[in-house]
Amino acid sequence: MSDTAAPTTVAITVNGVAVEAKPGELVIDACERNGVYIPRFCYHSRMRAVGMCRMCLVEIDGGRGPALQPSCMVSVSPDMKVFTESPVTKKAQDGILEFLLINHPLDCPVCDKGGECPLQDQTMAYGPGESRFVEEKRHFEKPIPISDLVYLDRERCILCDRCTRFAKEVAGDPLIHFQGRGNLTEVNTFPDDPFSSYFSGNTVQICPVGALTAKPYRFKARPWDLEEVESTSVVDSVGSRISVQSSRDRVLRFVGVDSDPVNWGWLTDKERFSFEALDHEGRLGGPLMRGNALGKLDAKGDQLVRATWAQALGAAASALTEAGPSRVGVLGGARLTNEAAYAWAKLTKGVLGTDNVDAQLADGLPADVVLGLPRATIDEACTPGGVIVLLGPDPKEELGALYLRLRHAVIEDRATLIELTPRSTGLSKFAAHRLHPRPGEVGELATALVADVAPTRAIAGVEPAAIAAATAALRSGKPVTVILGRTSLAEGTDAIVEAALTLRDGFPGVKFLSALRRGNVHGALDMGLSPGLLPGRTTLAASRAAFVDAWPNVPTATGLDATGILEAAASGRITTLVLLGADPLRDFPDAALAKKALETVEMLIAVDLFVTDSGRLADVVLAAAASSSEVDGSFTNLEGRVTAVRQKVTPPGTARADWMIAAELATRLGGDLGLESVEQIRAELAALSRIHEPLATGAFGDRDGVLITGGSVTVAPRERAVVPKSDAYSYRLIATRSMYDLGTVLQHSSSSAHLAPGTAVLLHPLDFDQLGVEAGARVKVSAAKASLHTIVHPDAGVPRGSAAMLFNQPDADVGGLLDARAAAIDVRVERV
Amino acid sequence: MGYLNGFAVTFRKLFHNTPTGAIVTTEYGGGRGRKHDEKRPKADRVHGRHVLNRYEDGMEKCIGCELCAGVCPAKCIYVRGADNDPENPTSPGERFGFIYEINYLRCIHCDLCVEACPTEAITESKLFEFSFTNRQDAIYTKAELLVGDDGMPKHLPWEDWRPGEDLMTSAWMRATSPSGDADYVGKVAWSGELGYGLRAPESGQTTEGAWPPPAGASHDDHGHDDHDDHDHGHAHGGNH
Ligand code: SF4
Ligand code: SF4
Ligand code: SF4
Ligand code: FES
Repeated sequence: MSDTAAPTTVAITVNGVAVEAKPGELVIDACERNGVYIPRFCYHSRMRAVGMCRMCLVEIDGGRGPALQPSCMVSVSPDMKVFTESPVTKKAQDGILEFLLINHPLDCPVCDKGGECPLQDQTMAYGPGESRFVEEKRHFEKPIPISDLVYLDRERCILCDRCTRFAKEVAGDPLIHFQGRGNLTEVNTFPDDPFSSYFSGNTVQICPVGALTAKPYRFKARPWDLEEVESTSVVDSVGSRISVQSSRDRVLRFVGVDSDPVNWGWLTDKERFSFEALDHEGRLGGPLMRGNALGKLDAKGDQLVRATWAQALGAAASALTEAGPSRVGVLGGARLTNEAAYAWAKLTKGVLGTDNVDAQLADGLPADVVLGLPRATIDEACTPGGVIVLLGPDPKEELGALYLRLRHAVIEDRATLIELTPRSTGLSKFAAHRLHPRPGEVGELATALVADVAPTRAIAGVEPAAIAAATAALRSGKPVTVILGRTSLAEGTDAIVEAALTLRDGFPGVKFLSALRRGNVHGALDMGLSPGLLPGRTTLAASRAAFVDAWPNVPTATGLDATGILEAAASGRITTLVLLGADPLRDFPDAALAKKALETVEMLIAVDLFVTDSGRLADVVLAAAASSSEVDGSFTNLEGRVTAVRQKVTPPGTARADWMIAAELATRLGGDLGLESVEQIRAELAALSRIHEPLATGAFGDRDGVLITGGSVTVAPRERAVVPKSDAYSYRLIATRSMYDLGTVLQHSSSSAHLAPGTAVLLHPLDFDQLGVEAGARVKVSAAKASLHTIVHPDAGVPRGSAAMLFNQPDADVGGLLDARAAAIDVRVERV
Repeated sequence: MGYLNGFAVTFRKLFHNTPTGAIVTTEYGGGRGRKHDEKRPKADRVHGRHVLNRYEDGMEKCIGCELCAGVCPAKCIYVRGADNDPENPTSPGERFGFIYEINYLRCIHCDLCVEACPTEAITESKLFEFSFTNRQDAIYTKAELLVGDDGMPKHLPWEDWRPGEDLMTSAWMRATSPSGDADYVGKVAWSGELGYGLRAPESGQTTEGAWPPPAGASHDDHGHDDHDDHDHGHAHGGNH
C-alpha cells in the first residue's frame, strides 16, 4: 500500500475529536477502533453489513450538514464529522430500541441469553427507561427445534439477519431464511429441511438476542455463573481459539474467539459441543485392569475392573521392561498437548529406547512430507487472488474452520481453487478447476499438470482440456498453496506424496498447508512422536548425537510406523502395545489388521479418557485428563502455530495429565524424566529445540500464538509411485470421513453422537446402467479382504468408475474393506 | 488466665440482675413444652426462613432463573433450571427451578432474593427460630423450601413454627413494586398463592392498573401481555 499514491489514512472527527480512519473503513469500525463504541445488532465485522436494525444510527456530517445515517453502511470520507452522542443520535437510539422492544417478549428470566444479551445491555445503556406499549405482542410457538442442536424462539427475534447471513454467506448452507412480511416476518427453516449445517452453533453465538439457543447449553447456567479462560480447541488440527466457560467445575460451553489468522470466531458444531464429552458418564475416573466378575484383579479375567494407580502403572511398567525396546510399540498421541507429547517422546525414545512410535494411524502422510515441505499459513493459503490446490481431504468434513476460511478466500477474495481430489468435496461448488483423478493416480496427474506440453489423452481419468486449464491457472504467477492431506483412506500415500513433490518442483514458490486432521497431530510430530523423528522438528538421523547427552537411551535406527507396528503386533514381533488415545479398531484403515494385532499382543495398555472399543481389549487402562479444559499446555495447529491450551476444570476422579503418566511410568522403568511441571517441560524442550524457544519464554500465550517455523526435516527422495492397475469390472474405492462419525469424543458428546449419517455406496449416475441396479437397491461391496452389504445411491460428484463410501460409520464396516498397504482398492459392487 | 476474665463478666451477669433490679436478659419463648412457651410478637415485615411458593393451581412459581442466586450478597443460594416437561410442567412456561438450595449458615435474611425474583416465587416467612446440629440440615433444598400441596410451608423438626408465622409472606413484602418501577408503588400487582389466595391491598394501595386484579377488584385486562395462561410470572404492568 505504501508505494501507491493513495492516502493511507482519512482524517475524520468523532464527537469533535480528530481521529484517523483507514480508507474505505466503515464509520462504525473507525469509531470503535478509536474507542467510541456505536451500539449495533445486525453489524458483524466478519459479515457483510446490511443495515437491517438501524441501531447504529448516528449523526454524520459529510459536508452537507449532519444527518442520521446507519454507521455500518457508510464509509469514512475526508473531513467527515460523526456525532455519536448528540441529542438527535440519542433520540434515534432510544426510538429504535423502543421499536425493537415492541414485539420482544419479557423472557429475560428464562432466556439463555439473559445476562449477556446485547438487547438487554443496549436497552440499559441507550434505551428508554419505560415502555409505552400496552398492546398485545406478536406470538409464535415457543422454541421450535430447527436442527438437532439449535432451538429457535421466533418471538425473541429482532430480524437482524445475522443468522441468515451467516448461513448463506459464511457457511454456505442457506437453510434459514426470513419468511412472511411486515410485522409477521419471521426467521425459519423450510419444512422438512432442518438447519442441519455443520456450523449452526455459530448462529447461536452471534444472535444478538436469545432467539437462537443451543440445546446442549439450554438452561444449564446463567452467564453470571460462568467463569472463562481462553484456550484452543483440540478437536481438529485447525486449532480454533475458544473460550472455555464453566460453572461449578463443569465445562458448560465453548464459545468461538476471533483469532484473525485462524478461525475468525467461527467453530464447527463438532468443536463447539465437544465439551459434553468431558463429563460424560463413561469418563474414566481411575485406572482399570483385567479382572473377574467379582471385581478382583485377575490377569486372565474377562472384564476391566478398577485398580489403583500403583497396580496399573506397575503392571504397565513391568510389561514394558520385559518386552524390551524392539518389542514395544506406541500408537497415537494426537490427543496430547505439546508438553505431554514431549514427555511421551522422552519416555518412549529416551527411556524405553524404542522408535516404534506413531501419532498417526495410517490415515495421514509420512511425517517428513508434512514437516519438510515449505509450509504455508492459513492466511497465505487464503491470499486474495491466490491459487489454492486441494490435494487432501474435504475440508468441510474434516477441518470445518479451515473450510470457512477457504470458502471465504474463493468467494470473497477471488482465489482460484483447483481440486485434485478423487471425488467432489464441500468446496467443489466454488472450484474453478475440478480434477478428480482415479484414486492412486494423482501422481500421474500432477506430472501432467507441470509438463510443458499439454497431454493429448486423459490422465488418471481427467480430460486433457481440464488439465491444460488447471496448468494455466497454476502458471498464472499468483501464489500457489497446496492443501495437502490424505484424499481418501482407500488409497496409499505414495501417489499423493509424488503429486506434492511434483508440484513443488514444477511450480517454484509453491507452499503447502498440511491438512492432517487429528487434534494436535502436528504437535505430536514436532515432538517426535513418529518413527525417525525427535522433538524439535528434527530427525533421529540428524540429531541423535545431540539427544544422547540429554536422554539416556536414544534409539539407533528408525522404527516402525503405525501399519508396521500393527503388523508386527499381529505376527507376535511386538508384544506390548501402548494406545495413546488411539482406537485402531475403529480408526485404523484396515480393521482386520487392527483386530488381529490387538488380539495377539500380550500386553495392551490404553491411555485414554474413555474405554474405547480397542480399550475394551486392553490389559491396563490408564485414565488421562482431557487436553481440552483439564490440563495446561500448548497446541500446534496445522500451520505450525503454537497456542495455549488452558485448564479450567479438574479432571474426573484420579485421572491425570498425560505427561504425568509418562513421568510416573519412567520412574517405574528405572529412569527419571526429570519433568515435574509443564514449565519445566517447555524449558527442556526449548533447550533441545531452538525453534521452540517461544514456548519457554511464554511468548505463545497470546490469542494468535506464535508460528513455529524451521526445523531440519527434509523430504526423503522417493521412487515413482506404482500406478495400480484397474480392471473393467471393478470400481475404485474412495473412503472419506464425514464431520460426524464414530470418533471417540463425538460418540461421548450426547447431543452429537447420533448425528453420524451412516454410509451407502455412492456411484456416478451413469454407472448404474452398467451395474444393472436402481438407486436405493441393496448391494454387496466386495474388496480383496472382505465384503459388506449396503445401499447404493447415485452421486454425480463421484467420477465414473469410482465408488465412494464413508469411513467409521455405524452401519457399515468400511474399515474392513481397507488395506493400509494398498496403493488403491478395487471393489466389486453386485446386486444381492 | 487472661481469657477467663472475660468469662467472669458472663458468669456475673448470668446470675445477677442490674443494680436497678431490672431483668435485662429476657427469657425468650422458653422452648416448646416449657413454662413461658410463647414468642414475642413480630413485625409484619420480619424476614425469616424462606418459602418457595406455588400458584393457586399448584404450579411452582420458581422458573429457575437464578436471579435470586445472582443478587444474594451472601452467595448462599444455588439454583439450576431445567426444561419443563410439556406434558407435565412443573412451572408455567419453558423453564423450572430444578435445583434450589439456600444455605442458612450463610443467609443474612436481607431479602434481596425476594426483591429480585421476577415471579414472586421466593418469599420469606417470619420464622427465624430454627437451628441445626449439622451442616447438611442447614442447607435447605427444594424439598424443604417448597410449600406443600396445601400451600403451607413444611414444618421441619428443628423449626419452631407458631400460628401466623407463615402469613403475610407474599410478594407484597417487597420493598420494590413487582415491576421494579417506582410508578407502581402503591398499586397492587402480585399474584395469588396456593393456600392463601390473593392478598388484598393495604390501605393506601390502589388496584387501578394492577394485574391480576386482587380479590374484589373489577377485572381489568390492562397491561396484560402474557400469552401463556399460566404465566402469571412476568413482571406485571411493565411492558418492555
Ligand atoms: S434469530 Fe437472532 S440472529 Fe437470526 S435474525 Fe433473529 S435476532 Fe437475528
Ligand atoms: S435473604 Fe439475602 S442472604 Fe439470604 S438468601 Fe436471600 S439474598 Fe441471600
Ligand atoms: S426463586 Fe425467583 S429469582 Fe430465584 S430462581 Fe426462582 S424464579 Fe428465579
Ligand atoms: S448495525 Fe447498522 S443497521 Fe444494524
